[in-house]
Amino acid sequence: MSPAAEFIGVTQRFGDFTAVDAIDLEIPEGKLTTLLGPSGCGKTTSLRMLAGYSRPTSGTIRIHGVDSTTLPPEKRGLGMVFQSYALFPHLTVAENVGYGLKLRKLPRAAVQQKVEETLELVGLAHLHKSKPKKLSGGQQQRVALARAIAIRPRLLLLDEPLSNLDARLRVQMRTELRRIQAETGLTVVLVTHDQDEALEMSDLMVLMRGGKIMQTGTPREVFSRPANRFVADFLGYENFLTDQTHTFSTVRPEHLILGAASDGSAALRLDATVVSTAYRGVDLLVTLDAVDGAGETVRLLADVRAGDGAGLTPGTRTTVSAAAAHLVPIAA
Amino acid sequence: MRARPVAASLAVLGYIIMIVPILFVVVTAFSAGRTLRFPPQGFSLTWFEAAVTYDPFMESLVSSLYLAAGATVLALLLGVPATIAIHRGKIPGKGLIEGLFLSPLIVPELVVGLALYQQLMIGLGLDNLSTLLLGHTALLLPYAVRVTGASLALADPAVEEAARGLGAGPVRAFLTVTLPLLRPGLFSAALLGFVTSFNNVPLSLLLQDREFRTLPVTMLDYVQQSYNPRIAAMATLILAATVVVAVIAERTVGFARIFGGINQ
Repeated sequence: MSPAAEFIGVTQRFGDFTAVDAIDLEIPEGKLTTLLGPSGCGKTTSLRMLAGYSRPTSGTIRIHGVDSTTLPPEKRGLGMVFQSYALFPHLTVAENVGYGLKLRKLPRAAVQQKVEETLELVGLAHLHKSKPKKLSGGQQQRVALARAIAIRPRLLLLDEPLSNLDARLRVQMRTELRRIQAETGLTVVLVTHDQDEALEMSDLMVLMRGGKIMQTGTPREVFSRPANRFVADFLGYENFLTDQTHTFSTVRPEHLILGAASDGSAALRLDATVVSTAYRGVDLLVTLDAVDGAGETVRLLADVRAGDGAGLTPGTRTTVSAAAAHLVPIAA
Repeated sequence: MRARPVAASLAVLGYIIMIVPILFVVVTAFSAGRTLRFPPQGFSLTWFEAAVTYDPFMESLVSSLYLAAGATVLALLLGVPATIAIHRGKIPGKGLIEGLFLSPLIVPELVVGLALYQQLMIGLGLDNLSTLLLGHTALLLPYAVRVTGASLALADPAVEEAARGLGAGPVRAFLTVTLPLLRPGLFSAALLGFVTSFNNVPLSLLLQDREFRTLPVTMLDYVQQSYNPRIAAMATLILAATVVVAVIAERTVGFARIFGGINQ
């Protein structure tokens, strides 16, 4: 299937600052793609260029195969949910959701029916007469979503849609958004800085940094095989080692085994000294110093079950090991 | 709430300083005597009748209202698009342009009046009324730019973007979303502008002629010649009208929203 949208060598400069640096990216049809990265990585700028709010300095953006680089937002037919929700404060919930439909010159009855259906979909049918100000953050978020979905957008763009919600609601809304995406079959592009959100929700994950794409893949691919140190670091790999052959690799803290693991399958075995421990109830974070294969002293972080680490105190000498499957070679 | 004796005392003192002189004027207006004196001699409404039947006051009141309304509309028509361009547009030298619009606040009004007198009336041969209207418009521009600017700065630019994304062209997005959001700001700018023009003396003093006279200047002339309660009665009527306008503004839009653009 041809992609829903494509970035071809797209660059965005603001003065001397290059926000997005010659990216190439295909957004697959009917899937949920996340643009993930720390603030300033260019993810929001990319989304805004796709939506038409910002024109690329160079490069081409295609939507459904058509060059849309200079098309104004109102001609793109995309739905966007803003981080601030950007609801129309002077209109009711139903008028907010119906705004785009009215512009499409639909008869009034059709608009009303569409609005009701969409509010039903996001679970807000009972609030259609309220003004946005009276709603909770979570409800406002759903109105913003309904408003964007109501026009049956060719793409649904979500700019950090969950970041203003409290922790519990945020986790609920991830499932909710996935349900809505599945029910509507919409192509979704979601911008987030939260790797858990991206891992849980994406079909395709795009990791960005400094305006460049670092890695693209399914959550499983990216999580288990980070392409470079930045991606590994961002996804919570804490331990970076070099061996005799100068191969650079990384291990997650929960995959480091402390003490004797002498079944011979370990791809890594180093002598280490405990520097400090942090008790966290279920688990225990152990900071260690070790000398890696290249002869460098490295600081390691192991995440072990609290019971297993009972005897560890600063100064304790132990060994750390990791299974071959958990030792991930990466680009330095 | 915590008691704040110093702040509370200052507030009360402020009210006293502002309100007491006004009370003297109001009380004097009900006098039955022939001169402006406190305490007033007797009680009557004679001087109110004298004020509303005094042609120079009534004619200049109508002139003042026309002038204030005209200048307010002109200032908003010029100032609001300018504000939007300054805040939302990509134009170089925004600060300079905004400064230019705000400058009538800083330049002494007598200087502005004299400049307009020299350039427009003597130089271009414009009549008094047009010059006066232009002068007042310039005087009100800072309010139009600053007050609507404040409410524009508070409005989330994403709201207009959202309208665009949903299919509204720039004009429709402005009319259906941005303009309704600016309404309290526009109302506030209009109110401040109208009152500023209505109260203005220096510009009007320099630019008006015998046919077109504004109320404040007429009243100023009057006090210089006659010292009777008619002037107090006229002042009281203006005060009453102002209170009515204020109450309507509070009931319809609310001061918090009108002036919220500045304080919040």
